[in-house]
Amino acid sequence: MLDFLQAVSDGVLFGATYALIGIGFTLVFGVMHKINMAYAAASVGGAYCGLLVLKVMAGAPAWLVFLGAFAAGGVLGWMVYLTCFHFIPLSSPLATLMSTVGMLLLIDEVIVHVTNGMPQNYPLMFDDVMLRAGEFTLRGDLLLVFGVSVLVMIGLLLLLYHTRLGLATRAVSQQPVAAQLCGIRLVRVNALTFVVTGLLGGIAGALIGASVGMLSPLLTLPLTVKGLIVTVIGGLGSVPGAIVAGLLVGGFENVLQLYRGVTERDLYVMLLLFVFLVFRPGGIFAPKSGRD
Amino acid sequence: MKKLTLAVSLALCVGTAYAQNKTIQIAGFGAKSGVVRSFGVNSEAALLAAADVINKGGGVKLADGSKARIAIEFYDDRCNAEEGISVIRRIAGTDAVVAVGPTCSNVAEPLFGILQKKVGDASDSGLQFPVFTDVAIKVGLAKISEWAFRNVPNEMTMYNSLFYWLRTTHPNAKTVYGGVEEDFAHSRATWYLVMKGRAEASGFEVLGNSKWLLADTNFATQVREMKKANADVVAISAHPFTTCGVLKEMQRQGVKPKLLVGLTSSSSLETLQGCAKQAEGIIIPTSFAPINKEAINAAQSTAKFKGNADLHSMAAWENMFILKNVMESEKITGTDVQGDRRKIRDGLAKLKTTKGLIGVSKRDAEREADKPYLFVHAKKGEWKVLYNPL
Amino acid sequence: MDFYFSLAQLIGVHTLLGLSAYIVLLTGQVSLAQAGFFAVGAYTAGMLTVLAGWHLVPALGASALSGAAVACAVGFPALRVKGLMLVIATLAFGEGVRLFFFNFDYQVAVDGIRLGPLGGEGFRQIRFFPENGWGTGEVMLFMWVFVIAAMALLWWFDRSRYGSVLRAVGEDELAAQSVGINLTAVKVSAMTVGGAIAGVGGGLYAHYTTHIEHSSFNILVATFAIAYPILGGLRNVFGTLLAVIFVQGFLVEGLRFMGDWRNLLFGALIVLAMNLRPSGFLGGRRRA
Repeated sequence: MLDFLQAVSDGVLFGATYALIGIGFTLVFGVMHKINMAYAAASVGGAYCGLLVLKVMAGAPAWLVFLGAFAAGGVLGWMVYLTCFHFIPLSSPLATLMSTVGMLLLIDEVIVHVTNGMPQNYPLMFDDVMLRAGEFTLRGDLLLVFGVSVLVMIGLLLLLYHTRLGLATRAVSQQPVAAQLCGIRLVRVNALTFVVTGLLGGIAGALIGASVGMLSPLLTLPLTVKGLIVTVIGGLGSVPGAIVAGLLVGGFENVLQLYRGVTERDLYVMLLLFVFLVFRPGGIFAPKSGRD
Repeated sequence: MKKLTLAVSLALCVGTAYAQNKTIQIAGFGAKSGVVRSFGVNSEAALLAAADVINKGGGVKLADGSKARIAIEFYDDRCNAEEGISVIRRIAGTDAVVAVGPTCSNVAEPLFGILQKKVGDASDSGLQFPVFTDVAIKVGLAKISEWAFRNVPNEMTMYNSLFYWLRTTHPNAKTVYGGVEEDFAHSRATWYLVMKGRAEASGFEVLGNSKWLLADTNFATQVREMKKANADVVAISAHPFTTCGVLKEMQRQGVKPKLLVGLTSSSSLETLQGCAKQAEGIIIPTSFAPINKEAINAAQSTAKFKGNADLHSMAAWENMFILKNVMESEKITGTDVQGDRRKIRDGLAKLKTTKGLIGVSKRDAEREADKPYLFVHAKKGEWKVLYNPL
Repeated sequence: MDFYFSLAQLIGVHTLLGLSAYIVLLTGQVSLAQAGFFAVGAYTAGMLTVLAGWHLVPALGASALSGAAVACAVGFPALRVKGLMLVIATLAFGEGVRLFFFNFDYQVAVDGIRLGPLGGEGFRQIRFFPENGWGTGEVMLFMWVFVIAAMALLWWFDRSRYGSVLRAVGEDELAAQSVGINLTAVKVSAMTVGGAIAGVGGGLYAHYTTHIEHSSFNILVATFAIAYPILGGLRNVFGTLLAVIFVQGFLVEGLRFMGDWRNLLFGALIVLAMNLRPSGFLGGRRRA
């Protein structure tokens, strides 16, 4: 029983990193009804850029690295928007799907070229904190990741519902044409959405780097897949849904690993996902006006 | 004006003189993209550095007594089977007489599959081209084709000796627990086929093993199993990324085995880059360390071509010198490309021993090497020689 | 010359993979399951020629059937969902197939040597071509017979009523339904045809590489299956062929002279291509 509880809590906590990535996917989907396949890669890329802080200033504290990742993530988000969305007509969803796949490969390869593909040590925050209750333990750094995800969610909700930008964003997501008629600049709102998700991605990437302890281009593809899974399970466009789904996926994964072993773990995760999608296509938190 | 004409004609003369100089093409190939890029970069540097040394020493002597320079061309296969096949076919279409590579076992395996299985078998339309592998290390690959040769360390011997040595020097250590990266051909084969059996043969009790996947990031459950087993020795058969991930989780959960053993491929710069602190003390058998003048020279020459010297890239270096000797002893012509390829293949097949950087290697009937080895351990962010059984 | 023959073989195999996604895309569905059908075909043909000693042609027939059967079976439940949901559902299925082969052991002793799939170690020595003395040129012609047949079949579909029905569903499901088109039947049939084509492609792939393992059928392969028709455009089958030549012939092999830049250009040129031709190389104006 203790094994089970421990597996659940380990998994759920680690799921916080999936949730962070899922939030970014779901936000872009909510606003533009498009998938940004390069999101996880750009987030990891932002985290790598954070490491540049250590190059410039050896021994810089971890929070400064995180700040660097945060800023770089925003810049990368804007660049992804510019190269993969800006010049492609909104009526070609397949084209942006492909352009972002191209971007994913490009970001991966740039990372590989700069680092020769070697894993890079990442500065840690609260890594030495372990909460203990007898045999039962909880990782402090993952609690931090979890806390940040919740903070990010609150911040996003405030941004969406209490600022003019948020109002414009929601207007664009519901009725792009009508929003334009009201004088909202569509391009600007879309670009800003990417910058905001990019900033979030940079932090997510840095937190993932810190909780894994390392960055490697190996991370991008699995994170992309996890992010997409979390997005659809949570319900497209739903931020709280993405968080819950991230934790769920993390927990499920770890429990299946405990009972079925690592080689069959993903097999069952994929089968469960398939069944879930086919029989509950709206996701857990599907918005009432959910598309598709 | 006169001076200029003189200079031009001089330059032309020199030009033709060089053009008359013969060159022998040797192709290198491996991964220069993706997460394994460092392997390709290092191999290429070692090949170029070795060719440079050979050329400065006069080059290769041909059958007619003339000397030829060695020219290296390196191809990237992205660690991808299809691309590896395209690359080897492309190389076979050039004047290259032999190829050194590839990096990945999952490229070597299909690649050796398209080579002719038995030399001289006219009914087999497989490619007739000698390949002399420097890196791809998965157990038992060269037997796929008689055109395939490898100069990679024999993990069976290395781990046999390592566990035996650990058993005798640390009599208190009695139990072993394994960790294996399950979905990568090399690491998987090394635990199940090599480490596990070798540890038992040396009198260790193997308590079990934990598994994870190449791109996994959460090792809490696996390390918990490891902690429960409470073994004296933890042997990790995984590549640097997950090796570091597991070591960091072990630190978090306070798992401190008496001894740590790692996978051959992890005795590289990558592990130190990823987790020097946690990897402190991990013992790995390797077939290269700068322990003598020759090895130090090789490492320095490779560094000039912007590559690191490790067990993989130095195998590429050794291959160049082995090939030089084979080409000279088999008297290749430098003009009949297919004939020279066959001569090189036969020459390589004949070798019983080869001279390496840290000692003499034996070669067996399955075209594999039994290389000398030593044990290194991570000490303050560097690989230091722990024990040299030679 | 061997190199060009071999490259043409590879282009042929990838064209089949792309065509299998092309027909599904015509109905407006993005499927990442094609790599799964490809894998099923590869293992089927490999096991039949190596373990059962079949000739390659009937083995490829079996690949087509098994690919089609799996596609049909997965099509019924999966095609109830659309859009991103379908992408993820099919991705889950494709990964499921890959992981199945990761856990799949079936070895038989042939002439005293144990052959066959062995889980993570893969399945080696699928050497039907060299063992029967086929040269690379002959193998290329053999493969292209299948590629041309698949292209001709899809071309004919496009000219027929069936093609119009497929495109009608792709353009506007509601409108198609209102004129009496059975959506499920159309989508599942497209998926089944795609599965058969991918199955044949996989069977040829296994014999091209002589060694297959689970990682040969990962998400990147599935992504490229849909990338070819998207890059090429959905106007006709030649777009897919052109895109395969662009990726395998130009980006992978043609740019070798660029050295280290080749890998960087790979992604960058895909981004550029989509910016310049959002509907694909041969794409006309098409409603999303």
